[in-house]
Amino acid sequence: MAQARTATHRGEGAQARIGGGARVRGRIHGDGDLLVEGQVEGDVAIRGELTVAEGATLTSKAVEAQTVTIAGAFEGDVAATGPVRVVGGARVRGNLRGSTVSIDDGARYSGRLECEFELPAELGGSARESRGRAAARR
Amino acid sequence: MASTVIGAGITVEGEITTDEDVVVSGTVRGKLSAKEAVTIEHGATVEADVTGGSLVVAGSLTGNVVANERVDLQQGARVIGNVKAARVTIADGAQFKGNVDMDV
Amino acid sequence: MANNASVIGRTTKVRGRVTGAVDLHVEGFVDGEIAVSGDVTVDAHGLVGASVQGRRLVVRGAVKGDLLGEEAVVLEDGARVVGDVRAPRVAIASGALVRGYVETGEGNGAPSRASRGEAARSAPQVRAAPPPPKAAAKPAAAVHVAGGGGSSNNSGGRAAARRPPPPVVPALKKAKGQIAKKKER
Repeated sequence: MAQARTATHRGEGAQARIGGGARVRGRIHGDGDLLVEGQVEGDVAIRGELTVAEGATLTSKAVEAQTVTIAGAFEGDVAATGPVRVVGGARVRGNLRGSTVSIDDGARYSGRLECEFELPAELGGSARESRGRAAARR
Repeated sequence: MASTVIGAGITVEGEITTDEDVVVSGTVRGKLSAKEAVTIEHGATVEADVTGGSLVVAGSLTGNVVANERVDLQQGARVIGNVKAARVTIADGAQFKGNVDMDV
Repeated sequence: MANNASVIGRTTKVRGRVTGAVDLHVEGFVDGEIAVSGDVTVDAHGLVGASVQGRRLVVRGAVKGDLLGEEAVVLEDGARVVGDVRAPRVAIASGALVRGYVETGEGNGAPSRASRGEAARSAPQVRAAPPPPKAAAKPAAAVHVAGGGGSSNNSGGRAAARRPPPPVVPALKKAKGQIAKKKER
């Protein structure tokens, strides 16, 4: 992951970049990172890090990536294996799933956040667990 | 400061249980049980059965009280309910209606 | 003493509703709804088993229920929330864990000046999108503990099974007049 990040910032390796003036319509997939500075409409499936830069727009039904950072506008669902971050100033609508999901103050967001964890036992543990209990009670 | 404070302006409807002490300046309706001292301050309204290590009341309390050590009804207190504790003091100026049981 | 700060201490458990016009600090366990007009802080050790409503909510502990902030909701490192989060401003730290529907901005308070136009445009759609949390948020608040209400796919029977205990309110009010007759329970 650290390597992928380095690649992103240096703009080398398996990085793809949709520049500020570019518009893409269609599916983007690959092993590396993707930096969106322009406008993309379509699904994204990459192994590395996806960055939607400030001023950029990404609209897709499904986004798969390791890590996702959104500073621009995004609409769609994200499924990341690593962390997802919505930066202050970003506008995001859609469901976000990641190992952790963070939303900075000042971001506009609506959607569902999904991450795996359990609540303390006093609050019934995980949702799944409590559903199991509910079933058991009947 | 007490570990649990129900400040003026706060209402708890339900049951409060704690191992520590409680200060009530607001409103409690339901049940209040503490292991340590319970203080019902002037201006507070408690409509609850109260158990505690000790109890000091300067506010309004409607409910039965059981304290391990002592109950002090201070001046200005309005208490309606039965009180059970080894030692009970009712200050001049406290209003009280109920039974007192001191044989613990 | 401490007239403005209400604290639910570390070993304290409240079963029932907590309401009021001031700030509340939860270090213990509130198994019931919290609705205050001041700020609410749920400490790292704090637990809340139902919805929380206040001006500004800061959570470092665990909440199973919806969070509604008139100004802001801040979920800090260590927070664990299963429930919907709504406030004009929402901040979720990377160490905070959330499962639920989250909505910032318009309709939940003052719109943020930067994107007011965009907010107005997108509002109807956004509002229409999550019917389950919407429906559950207000009227069911007292019994709605399942929190993750938005997940229509897995919230099934949870709401009914995991409701908070009903407030245990003895009939003390009624007893006022007839306290003499009242028997010891």
